[in-house]
Amino acid sequence: MITLETLTHVYPARRHQAARTAIHDLSLTIPDGTFCILSGPNGSGKSTLFRILCGLMLPTAGRVQIGGHDALQHPDAVRRMTGVVFQSPAVDKHLSVIENLRLHGALYGLKGAAFEHRLTAAIGWSDIASRLNDRVDSLSGGLARQVELAKVLLTEPRLLLLDEPTTGLDPASRRSFLVALRHLQRDRGMTVLMTSHVFSEAEDADSVAIMRDGHLLVHDSPRALKALVGREMVVVETATPTRLAAALLAELGLPALVHGDEVRIDAIPASGPDSGPNSGAVALIDTILQRWQPEITSIAVKQPSLEDVFIHVTGKTAVAEDSRR
Amino acid sequence: MSPQPSALPSPSASLFSVSAALARREFTRFIRQPQRVVGSLGQPVLFWVFLGAGFTPSFQPPGMSGMSYLEYFYPGVLMMMILFASVFSTITVIEDRDQGFLQGVLVAPIPRLAIVLGKVFGGTSIALFQAVILLLATPFLGLPVTMGGLALIVMAMVLTSIGYTALGFAIAWSMKSTAGFHAIMMVFLMPLWLLSGALFPTAGAPGWLAGLMAINPVAHAMTILRAPFYASPASVLASASYQTGLAVVVVWVALGLWVSVRRVSTRDGGL
Repeated sequence: MITLETLTHVYPARRHQAARTAIHDLSLTIPDGTFCILSGPNGSGKSTLFRILCGLMLPTAGRVQIGGHDALQHPDAVRRMTGVVFQSPAVDKHLSVIENLRLHGALYGLKGAAFEHRLTAAIGWSDIASRLNDRVDSLSGGLARQVELAKVLLTEPRLLLLDEPTTGLDPASRRSFLVALRHLQRDRGMTVLMTSHVFSEAEDADSVAIMRDGHLLVHDSPRALKALVGREMVVVETATPTRLAAALLAELGLPALVHGDEVRIDAIPASGPDSGPNSGAVALIDTILQRWQPEITSIAVKQPSLEDVFIHVTGKTAVAEDSRR
Repeated sequence: MSPQPSALPSPSASLFSVSAALARREFTRFIRQPQRVVGSLGQPVLFWVFLGAGFTPSFQPPGMSGMSYLEYFYPGVLMMMILFASVFSTITVIEDRDQGFLQGVLVAPIPRLAIVLGKVFGGTSIALFQAVILLLATPFLGLPVTMGGLALIVMAMVLTSIGYTALGFAIAWSMKSTAGFHAIMMVFLMPLWLLSGALFPTAGAPGWLAGLMAINPVAHAMTILRAPFYASPASVLASASYQTGLAVVVVWVALGLWVSVRRVSTRDGGL
């Protein structure tokens, strides 16, 4: 559905600001009917990529193919098959829910019976059916987000682009939004690309792409990404993480990653032949406690989550950069 | 993904229906903000009554004996209303961008001209709504306006409103803040009105001022708005100054729309 080839975007220099490369030579393929989460730290270039995908911005170089169309040459063909949910609300809060939906329908040539027909399907999954005549500014944040999604679904897009759609929602609303989104995506066979940096949202995705400094670091299924980190890791909480990490490297030869108050060791050495499934980690914990117990607040074995993957792939470069400064 | 016939995108909407839908939104928003209605209607009326009452004793321009300032200023106030309605409706370009509504419109498969026309027609309908209320005062001023004259007046107002809205749109498109737009309005859009002959007649103005007024499209708009109040439609249409004014205004409108569409069509590019 989406194919990006050697995409590069450089923001031109302005007063008091040098030219800045937001996307470096990025290639990415998102197959039809899949749910992809695009993640990355702030300033990683994902918003720029999102703007290019919606056709709001032209890249400096590279190719963007969406649904078989060249998105840069034929933006209209792409616009017809795409629905976009932005981070900031794109509904008019002075209008009622139904007025917003009607207006959106009109932009896509939907009116009369065709509109009513689509409307039923577009709001059937949501909680807004009883609030159609209420003004959008009287709705809760979660319901307002549902309006955004319902609005976009009216046009039955083949590709749905969402930019951090759950920002500002409480955990319950966030969850119900995502559950609904995933159901709709499966039922309708839509391709979904969603930017997010909430990793609990990504566990259920078909693939996760992580960007940093304009580079695509990884793009794979959540399972494959977790395997990248290793089966498990030892996480040590301490008041002096940098010192402990240095000591681990010097005395045990173990590379460790510092993340806040934590020291993470994901390359756990295997222990003796009688080792059970956890014995490598258990033996390591034993060793660490023997040497540095007074400095340690807590120590645990942890199964990798996507958040750990994120820290693993984006963090290493960060530590390397910090030491260069 | 297997292509389902029902999932195919619908045929795109026509330029007219999209523009109309966007314009309807502008008008609905306007009506739902009563303070906007009161402000944009009240200010010109207050200007008219206070300035008109204050200046009438000293207003004796050559060749206009017997005309009160209240009467002279009346078409000028209509023009002022159009200015304010148009300007405020283009400020909403900045608000729409700021609040996010605009991005949803920009990613829709609609002609870029429809985005401009939606705003322009929205602004024009708001301007006309207010101007028609003020037009009800015409009979009380003792002005001899026929139905044909009224049609010419409305046409002048529509054209001027489109011209102003398109100009405001082109200016507002790349602006980040409404405060910045207010500044532009005070030093550029307001002076266009001040120097249009709305407040004082061109005759008797210093040479440099008369020169500025001659190249000011709003001055020409003022000509085609004022003329039908004082002469029959046939003689108005036959006069050279009216024809020149109309031509200038039409060029102004076309140019404003063209520049606005160009601005909307440009996608931000990188290096």
